[in-house]
Amino acid sequence: MIDSQPSSLDFTGYTPTWCAGCGNWGIGKGIELALKKQQLSPDSVIMLFDIGCSGNMNDFINAYAMHTLHGRALATAVGVKIANHKLPVLVTGGDGALYGEGGNHFLHACRGNHDLTVIVHDNSVYGLTTGQVSPTASKGKKSKSTPSGIIERPVNPLLLALTQGATFVAQGFTAQLPQLAELITAGMQHKGLSIINVLQPCVTFNKENTYAYYIKNTYKLPEDHDKSNFSQALEQAQAVFEERFPLGILYQAERPSYQDELPQLASEALVNKQRFLNNSALLKQFT
Amino acid sequence: MAEQQTEFLWKVGAPAGQGVMTTGLLFSKLCAQSGGQVFDYAEYPSLIQGGHNTYEVLCSNTPAHNRQWQVDYLVCLDAITLKEHEHRLDASSIVVLDPATSSAPTNPAYTIVPLPVKELLAELKASSIMANMIALGASWALVGGDQKHLVELIAEQFGKKGEEVVNLNQNCAARGYEAVKSALPDHAVFAWKDTTETPLVMGGNDAFSLAAAAADCRFYAAYPMTPSSSVLATLAAWQKTTGMVVRHAEDEVGVISEALGASFAGVRACVGTSGGGFALMTESISYAGIAEIPIVIFLSQRPGPATGLPTATEQGDLLFATYAGHGEFPKIVLAPGDVTEMLELSRHAFDLADIYQTPVIVLSDKFLSESRMHLDQTVAEQVMATKPNYGRTIHNPSELPYLRYKVTEDGISERLIPGAAGTYYQANSYEHLEDSHTTEDPTERCRQVEKRLQKQQTYLDHHWLMPSIDGSLDGAKYVFVTWGSSKLVVQQARQLLDEPTAHIHFTHVYPMDREKVATLFAADRHYVLVENNATGQFGTLLRSEAGVDIKHTIHKYDGRAFYSEEIVAALEQHDR
Ligand SMILES: Cc1ncc(C[n+]2csc(CCOP(=O)(O)OP(=O)(O)O)c2C)c(N)n1
Ligand code: SF4
Repeated sequence: MIDSQPSSLDFTGYTPTWCAGCGNWGIGKGIELALKKQQLSPDSVIMLFDIGCSGNMNDFINAYAMHTLHGRALATAVGVKIANHKLPVLVTGGDGALYGEGGNHFLHACRGNHDLTVIVHDNSVYGLTTGQVSPTASKGKKSKSTPSGIIERPVNPLLLALTQGATFVAQGFTAQLPQLAELITAGMQHKGLSIINVLQPCVTFNKENTYAYYIKNTYKLPEDHDKSNFSQALEQAQAVFEERFPLGILYQAERPSYQDELPQLASEALVNKQRFLNNSALLKQFT
Repeated sequence: MAEQQTEFLWKVGAPAGQGVMTTGLLFSKLCAQSGGQVFDYAEYPSLIQGGHNTYEVLCSNTPAHNRQWQVDYLVCLDAITLKEHEHRLDASSIVVLDPATSSAPTNPAYTIVPLPVKELLAELKASSIMANMIALGASWALVGGDQKHLVELIAEQFGKKGEEVVNLNQNCAARGYEAVKSALPDHAVFAWKDTTETPLVMGGNDAFSLAAAAADCRFYAAYPMTPSSSVLATLAAWQKTTGMVVRHAEDEVGVISEALGASFAGVRACVGTSGGGFALMTESISYAGIAEIPIVIFLSQRPGPATGLPTATEQGDLLFATYAGHGEFPKIVLAPGDVTEMLELSRHAFDLADIYQTPVIVLSDKFLSESRMHLDQTVAEQVMATKPNYGRTIHNPSELPYLRYKVTEDGISERLIPGAAGTYYQANSYEHLEDSHTTEDPTERCRQVEKRLQKQQTYLDHHWLMPSIDGSLDGAKYVFVTWGSSKLVVQQARQLLDEPTAHIHFTHVYPMDREKVATLFAADRHYVLVENNATGQFGTLLRSEAGVDIKHTIHKYDGRAFYSEEIVAALEQHDR
């Protein structure tokens, strides 16, 4: 459990500037619900916002936060968590940011199993820069930057996270708010790297991956899905290739997080430790 | 009794992978422990096998600052060594070589002492790598060292590996020692002193690592890149002692992003790299600028562009460092000139980063990073014991609402460590209001720009330091001007010159106080700017930042550091 005292501070910040009907509204709400459910308050959580429509949530949700550079929220979060692993750390950003510009950080954060919760706003476009294709765009998708249709195949975020070592992999849909809030809560409670890919219609620039499209093509994971079974998780993740999108926790495994494996953090948070003073121990190595 | 020497330059060369670094390091230790003042420098190509490695030690009775052109003792463990360094020998030089592997020239202009390495190895049933111990023993005899010190040092060095290893190493060294002793019974040897002190000898990277540990840096991230990599290795090896977390991250963008995250969360953080990695970090430097996140960046230069000469040296990134990062924001660039300055300035860099909540860059180069030289023990202890100044870092808001980017007279606002109850804020990469929310309001934009830039003026008023001046500016035939590691060569060169000279050495290279710097430059003096680069980057900086134009400049950009003799020769040529 996360120990914190509820305070009078409120998570609700500025009124969002997202387009009416944008899937980001649901994600914002889902995050707020999950934080409240865990009795957290804006002073007891650290959030990292990437740059994009999604990242603009920096002003809409109150918390200790970094609004980083495009693609860098996850890498920045790695440092935050090492410095103070006692605070829950949440990362949110677009699929362009997390799977594209910051793709390398994504691979290595999964490998490291850093104790972070990553919420990816997957809208298959670059919203903020007005609708170019993102790494999850379907092959052939036409956009301002790909007038003849994109040649590359889409990234499969679930498969990517699973194969690179994330220990919690889930998918949510912004229109299914209660489940989304539950997934975020479960991800935050999980020790290790949690990846939650959220299907998020961009109503302004994506006329294909709409609410109707996702309502038609999403499905609940079968009752007997065993989330501790890696092979089953891989199988479900492959459904995406057939434009079928599983919703729920595909995979959850217990593995020591990066922070667990750092002896420096065994007793208390790095930020609260006593300062190193034994200079002579180091100096004598140079005589 | 042979005549005594007050200074010598010893050099050993061998194929890469032959352990010549160990020979050099141990030889240097023997010199320092026997009362010599040493300055060492190793050269190696960017190869693991197949190249030619060298290590040289200048040993002197007086402080040694730099390398010397003339090689007094050349120990050759391959045929290339003599070929590559023969031009630096003169009549008094002694060359040690194995007639079985290197052919000795007929009628050489120097003395040759044969050292039958191959034969000795066979006799001792030792592997070829042990040639480095035979060379060590031979070298120590060449300079008239006490064999007892040799035996002791080997025992200390290899003690952990067991008696057998110690014995083998000692035997090899002893045979090398005896071979030279009998071939050269009576020649000028160094005036060793009997001393019980063991002086501190280290390179710039070592001094930086010490400074970081002493400065309460708790997070160091890097991606290996010569010549900065040894900081990563050193700090990583010290983790158990220091409690620092040392991260080898996926790339340099990740490196600096992580460090900024750690710094935001409240620990002192630092990254280390060379030019290419630094280039990848520049966007984040700009983020640190606007979000006002303290960060120390250790940049050890090597010759570019691109991959350049990976294991060579150059002062080629001064302007890049100074102007790194898009947009306008304050930044502090410090350029130590020797290990003492490296320790002091790097230690101070962490305070400055906290006080001004902005990036601080410590510039080194391969020459300074990897040359080993003396550091006074008392000075080292004092610098390292200095209590950190965390500036306006706070753990609880002094008033509510807390304004992270509050506009103040000196530009500095209170930086709250996240987690304090009752408030929150964001480190915002967008332009923001005092309370840290994003804004596009023109008035608020200007207030924040001015607030940030004010910190630069505050730094100039409170922490910027004038260059050091050695010698009298009036009456000096030449007034040398240096920054960073070219300090070393000028110190040595001035000892070779008969005419009166002076030396202005800059460490706080950017920003600088225009008016104060200008007072050091008078029209009737002859200034000589010495830079280990092709274009005179500090000259450019002096023109733009201080309105000072130095006409006479000496450059070197072949990837090697200056020899003091080259400075003297350049002046002679200029005067001709
Ligand atoms: C280094 C850099 N490159 C490009 C941009 C411009 N840019 C801002 S957001 C963005 C893409 C946004 O797409 P995504 O990450 O998917 O987020 P969304 O807006 O869809 O939520 C780009 C290219 C930037 N800010 N920084
Ligand atoms: S452009 Fe798309 S992603 Fe951005 S706010 Fe509008 S609907 Fe949402």
